[in-house]
Amino acid sequence: MNASTTNFFEAIGAPVVDIARAWGSMFGCGLRTLRAIAMARIAWREVIHQSYLIGNRSVPFITVTLGFLGMISVYQVAMQIKQIIPDFTMLGPAFIQIMIREFAPTITGLMIATRVGSGIAAEIGSMTVTEQVDALRMCNADPIVYLIVPRAIACMVMVLMLSIYAVLVSTISGMLMANGAFDINMRTFLSLQLTNGDDIVIGAVKALAYGFSIPIIAGNAGLTTSGGSEGVGWATTRAVVSTSFAVVVLDFLISAAGYIFT
Amino acid sequence: MSGDAVIVCKGVGKRYGRKWIVRDIDLEVRAGELLGLIGPGGHGKSVLLRLLAGLATPDEGEVRVRGKNLADIDPFELAELRREYGYLFQNYALFDFMSVADNVAFPLRQAGGVEEPEIARRVKERLEQLGLGEALDRFPSELSGGMKKRVGMARATIGEPAIVLYDDPSAGLDPVTSSKIFRLVRTMHHSQDDVASVVVSHDIDRMKVICDRYVMIFEGKVLFDGPEEAIEGADPMVGKFFFGSLGQSSGAS
Amino acid sequence: MNGALKSLASSVGGAVLAIAETIGGAVTLLFRILRALFPPRYDAEGVWRSFYNVGVKSYPIVVMTALFVGAIMVIQTAFYVKKTGATGIIGYGVGFSVFAEIGPILIGLMFSGRVGANNTAELGTMVVTEQVDALRALAIDPLPYLVVPRFLAMLGMLTLLMVLGDLFAIVGAALTAQLLVGFHWRVLVADLLQSRLLDEFTMGLVKAACFGISISCISCYFGLAVRGGATGVGRAVNNSVVSNATAIFVIDFVVGYLYSL
Repeated sequence: MNASTTNFFEAIGAPVVDIARAWGSMFGCGLRTLRAIAMARIAWREVIHQSYLIGNRSVPFITVTLGFLGMISVYQVAMQIKQIIPDFTMLGPAFIQIMIREFAPTITGLMIATRVGSGIAAEIGSMTVTEQVDALRMCNADPIVYLIVPRAIACMVMVLMLSIYAVLVSTISGMLMANGAFDINMRTFLSLQLTNGDDIVIGAVKALAYGFSIPIIAGNAGLTTSGGSEGVGWATTRAVVSTSFAVVVLDFLISAAGYIFT
Repeated sequence: MSGDAVIVCKGVGKRYGRKWIVRDIDLEVRAGELLGLIGPGGHGKSVLLRLLAGLATPDEGEVRVRGKNLADIDPFELAELRREYGYLFQNYALFDFMSVADNVAFPLRQAGGVEEPEIARRVKERLEQLGLGEALDRFPSELSGGMKKRVGMARATIGEPAIVLYDDPSAGLDPVTSSKIFRLVRTMHHSQDDVASVVVSHDIDRMKVICDRYVMIFEGKVLFDGPEEAIEGADPMVGKFFFGSLGQSSGAS
Repeated sequence: MNGALKSLASSVGGAVLAIAETIGGAVTLLFRILRALFPPRYDAEGVWRSFYNVGVKSYPIVVMTALFVGAIMVIQTAFYVKKTGATGIIGYGVGFSVFAEIGPILIGLMFSGRVGANNTAELGTMVVTEQVDALRALAIDPLPYLVVPRFLAMLGMLTLLMVLGDLFAIVGAALTAQLLVGFHWRVLVADLLQSRLLDEFTMGLVKAACFGISISCISCYFGLAVRGGATGVGRAVNNSVVSNATAIFVIDFVVGYLYSL
């Protein structure tokens, strides 16, 4: 084989190897986190602290984004309905159902991926480049147990809670829009007649899955940071994309599973 | 004064991508000696120190600590061995979310088996010994570079480890503080019997005062291994670095 | 007024001030960019380089996201079809939600995460390593040199990528319909194309163009305003992606509302 074909195969192969390695380290990180949780190696005080950090600064962010999303969704769908049959009785129930099953957890997940994912990657990344992670290892403190596990538990709990909050915010803003622009009775709008247990289970499973994967992916990006303080910037930006994309992929997988099994 | 070999490297090599950072390293670290790992910057000293601590795994050869190969022992044995280590990191690596006292107490708490009052007493004693009695409740971000280095030393030595590794203890410090830090390295080394200390630095002038033996790493290889007296007969490069312009210029930087 | 109330008031006030500062900074930057465009006064070669950089960086994630968006919306619509039996709405439902709403939002968020965050980190690193000061010292205005090319590239590229994204969303929808839902892909695509969704399609492109403007202005603003070394860059990236996400939802609302008037 001559040199140019070797280079060609290397050029094709290198990204594949890189991606495989990245996935390997990500899944390894996830498994070690699960094992640590199963062995109950959890610093509860740190979990509470992290939950506070995640929740505290995310509430206004979720309020604004889900509030606007709720209003515009109701507005656009109602405009469509108005052109066909001006019967708005099913608008509210259908809106609430799809919010619970799909958009409240997924948009919340994306917002947390953006806000918290980048924060975790930056924090752990700068600990890595300043050798604090190595110092933990030398003191026999497993960085996974010490840094990732509390964030994973806190994030799971908080994404679930914030998704519930997101359902409330979007429903209220959608209801106000329905009432203000289309004169739909608030009671007609606020109905759970299309929502059943399956929808709630699917929504909750999504929220928990996003909540677990965001700190794993972002934390792994932080732990594998190299190249000094500039590397922290790149780890942060990489974390935003990978965590957001993970949310989209998980959304697809869980929706598909939900469709098949319900 | 030096005793049995504590760490033995055989044919150790480490690469990043395709580039070998260090290769074919044979090295012994013996109990009771203060070993200086010298050489110009960027030639693999710090990487070698990480290999000695098991923070990096060699791509070639093996690192044995008390006869055990670091690459294939189980996590519990590794944890057991790590208790014998103290490590002063180049960038201090103090946990910025903990106070000075908690930083220094961390290895003791992590190892377990020591009561809190005893931990508090030992932390206070060690910090006072290093001239930091006042800094107990302050946070790393409030300290100067020299103080952080000393906190790092306190944390590295609090568990009375048998092996202490110092990664460039004078990095980022002014000459006066550097001299003080090197004197403290010597004090720490002699405060216990049979401690094996390894100091990485290019600051030859200050190393001369404290080290028993030198290993010079040049372009990823061992260029010299022996006491100061043996330099005369070695590669002229070693003499140039040790006595001449190379050492001077990097020492002053 | 007790302490807790006072601290609440001050944190709310601080947040309002911070938001006002961000909006003010980004809008000022937008005006300065527009002034540099009429008459044109910018680094033309840099514009092509920026187009290339932005496109290469973002097209894989946009394509992948679009495939999944189409797939997800097919599943969501199929839930209703399963309940009501109204198979006729599947093409329309997917097309409407992907073109008008979910496609632009998700692709916009991904683009903001990929290109916007990267841009803030890049400019921020240039600021902390004093490269921007060096430009100023050479009497080169950083605006036409660094900001305008990025602005044009993000505006143009995100609009183009939205067309590509809509296309791939249809592919994702067709595949999922065929393989998972058991609905023939040709029927889905035919339904979708007959649903007269041109308005929704153009609305998606308008949204994309507006997102391109806001992402470039916000990410450049935070990048150039970095203070305090490497941790400052990390904080700027975080602020930039959060502001961009918020802006995307607000713009989505405004464009959607204005479009139907």
